[in-house]
Amino acid sequence: MIHQQPNILKMLSESRFTENLNNQQLQSLCRASRVHSLPAGTILFQEGELEDEVFVISSGHVRLSMSVPGRGNVVLLTSGPGDLVGWSGLISDGRMTATAVAADDCVLVALSGKRVRELCETDPQLGYVLMIRLARVLSQRILATRLQLLDLFRPGGDSR
Amino acid sequence: MNQPATSDVWYFPKDGLTELIRVLQEDGFDVIGPTVDQGAIVYASIQSAEDLPKGLTDIQEAGSYRLEKRNDESLFGYVVGPHSWKKFLFPPISVVAAADRIEGHWEFSTPEEPQRPFAFLGVRACELAAIRVQDQVFLKGPYVDPIYQRRRESAFLIAVNCTQAASTCFCTSMKTGPRCQSGYDLGLTELKDGFLLEIGSERGQQLSRSLSLRPTTAAEMAEGDLRRQQAADQIHRTLETDGLPNLLKQNLRSSHWDDVGRRCLSCTNCTMVCPTCFCSSVTEVADLNGDHINRERRWDSCFNPEFSYMHSGIARDSIPSRYRQWMTHKLSSWHDQFGTSGCVGCGRCITWCPTGIDLTVEVLAIREAAATVESVDRGTNHE
Amino acid sequence: MSNPWQLSSARIVEKTAETPGVATYVLQLTDDSLRRRFQFRPGQFNMLYVPGLGEAAISISGNPIQEGLIPHTIREAGNVTHAISSLSTGDTLGLRGPFGSSWPTELCEDRDVILVAGGIGLAPLRPVIFDMLSNRDRYRRCTVLMGARDPSGLLYESDYEDWKRRGVDVLVTSDRPADGWHGNVGVVTTLLDRLPLPDPASALLMTCGPEVMMWYTAQTAVARGIAEESIYVSLERNMNCAIGLCGHCQFGPHFLCKDGPVFRFDKVASILRISDL
Repeated sequence: MIHQQPNILKMLSESRFTENLNNQQLQSLCRASRVHSLPAGTILFQEGELEDEVFVISSGHVRLSMSVPGRGNVVLLTSGPGDLVGWSGLISDGRMTATAVAADDCVLVALSGKRVRELCETDPQLGYVLMIRLARVLSQRILATRLQLLDLFRPGGDSR
Repeated sequence: MNQPATSDVWYFPKDGLTELIRVLQEDGFDVIGPTVDQGAIVYASIQSAEDLPKGLTDIQEAGSYRLEKRNDESLFGYVVGPHSWKKFLFPPISVVAAADRIEGHWEFSTPEEPQRPFAFLGVRACELAAIRVQDQVFLKGPYVDPIYQRRRESAFLIAVNCTQAASTCFCTSMKTGPRCQSGYDLGLTELKDGFLLEIGSERGQQLSRSLSLRPTTAAEMAEGDLRRQQAADQIHRTLETDGLPNLLKQNLRSSHWDDVGRRCLSCTNCTMVCPTCFCSSVTEVADLNGDHINRERRWDSCFNPEFSYMHSGIARDSIPSRYRQWMTHKLSSWHDQFGTSGCVGCGRCITWCPTGIDLTVEVLAIREAAATVESVDRGTNHE
Repeated sequence: MSNPWQLSSARIVEKTAETPGVATYVLQLTDDSLRRRFQFRPGQFNMLYVPGLGEAAISISGNPIQEGLIPHTIREAGNVTHAISSLSTGDTLGLRGPFGSSWPTELCEDRDVILVAGGIGLAPLRPVIFDMLSNRDRYRRCTVLMGARDPSGLLYESDYEDWKRRGVDVLVTSDRPADGWHGNVGVVTTLLDRLPLPDPASALLMTCGPEVMMWYTAQTAVARGIAEESIYVSLERNMNCAIGLCGHCQFGPHFLCKDGPVFRFDKVASILRISDL
């Protein structure tokens, strides 16, 4: 696994979630990470399951869906390069609130939620930075969801 | 008699007005002046000085207007009524374009209705200012309104200086009056027995040559000064204009809009009587078989909900938002758009508001609320 | 000066169905000399007139350098656009224009340019895409981010491949899931969130769509390092006269018909989120 570290370092430094951390912080995160390749169509995680790892997408896209009886798996959001998915593992027991499937061939960095949480405990400065960034990711998700909810293009809406 | 020189002041007796009106008529003008109709002084075509409101005055308050007899025979002893000259320069209804179906296809035209030139008799200082404001809107932008232009360019303006003020007047705050300074062809000041006449333009100069004028006496000049001063002295209403455009811009979210919105009926009266409001809508008026269509422009108002209609809904769907639009346009964004305030201080919107909403009071309330917030902010900073 | 109320007769020479309720009408002025003289800048609009029903402000969606043909992509939304939808090739209607401000194509030289469109908002931006295609070497990276309610709302979809081949990248997203749709799901701002921006300081962004979408597109762009002064929006209000004389389309100090519809974002940012303005 050691040979993968520089690769992970590069991938993490390119993600909005982990960019611009100092080298020491990045190194610490690298040690809690692995590269995870996901062929198109494969399931990354399932709604309702416990998952320790959180994922930073390096390349490819992941579809997040929820299962609704009678409607099947409803796709709610496509995540792409730089996005964080499976964030529940960073702040709780990691019970997934959506199913993630690779829309195309993906390369992800998988971070151990437990290890990252421990890192944050021992290095509160890193913890603060990561939690702020997580909050930012979640606030973007909420905003995007609200905009979806507004259904701005509904018939009879804005005439453009 | 010597020919009067521009800027000189001349005198003619009361019956000289008859001569003035006759000369204007002979020159082809449709003379429009104040006259009494349904208990108010309005502007209409007049045939002689007999049609003017002799010995009458108007008592105006927020939400009220009535005529009373004067104890003299003054012809201009009142201020402004519900009409303004915009009614003639920017008609309430006019045809801007037409479409005719000829042998199965449509032809489009812009009719030019023949129009006798107007002579306006009795234009007050605030009204001269209002005409200047509408000139800016209709003539000075990237597009010129041809209907306004035709009427405006041929109009002959005879100003009359106010010799009294109503309680609703605040032209002194808006720096538009009460003295008529410029923008007229002839300017009058009514004395007890006659008129002082000032010449304001080349056209005025030419027309004055047909009038029986004599030089003024010192006593007549003094009487004119006294009477004009009386108007200035009677103005007590004020509107603080210092920083006003920014004050309103910074208070678009003020709770005061809801307060005034509860009193406002959104009836559009203020916009109809306002001498500068210019909002309009074009509607289609077809003849019975639909082969001839007039595109009629009619006065409209930002107080009508449909005025801001878009396919996605009505942009200003509440009375507070419409009152805010009207006031901020008039007193704030007008400066951005036309380099001047949209308010001339004539007070018509105060008089003719059925619930007596007074924009000078509303502005003061917003100013005071903003000052309170500011001082609270300052207090917090010091803690 | 010519009378700004004068309508010209225009003939529909081509009508193409686009997305549901939307069609493109290519108009041609019937008068030869008017046809030769007609010129517009990207983002400008015409007033289209149906006798007896009135006018509608419709942006021009064509190629500014194509002489004589004036395409309008129109969604059926009100009386006038509904009546236009029942017209066919060969029919005539009235036209006044062009009016309004335009997209800043003159500022695009050697910059990364991003167009963010929502639904039929791609129509007023299409003249910019034509400019990109004609003058591709003047621009740096060209990206179109296109969002729609569902995949059926992806305007001009059949052209995307051609645009991509000619150096204009197109990324699309559907606001909501749809059967058989394997593309991106999510609002268009999420595409901007993850768009690689190697040089945001030199990027220029133009957006057209629902006001809320444009506001959050601009917020996202600013968060990504694009200056407010490099963001342009196209606003919509009720246009009646199109010449700044009727008061309908006021938005704060602006008349959308003559000061807009295209505004630099920082000029309108302070009033965009004030309700009922």
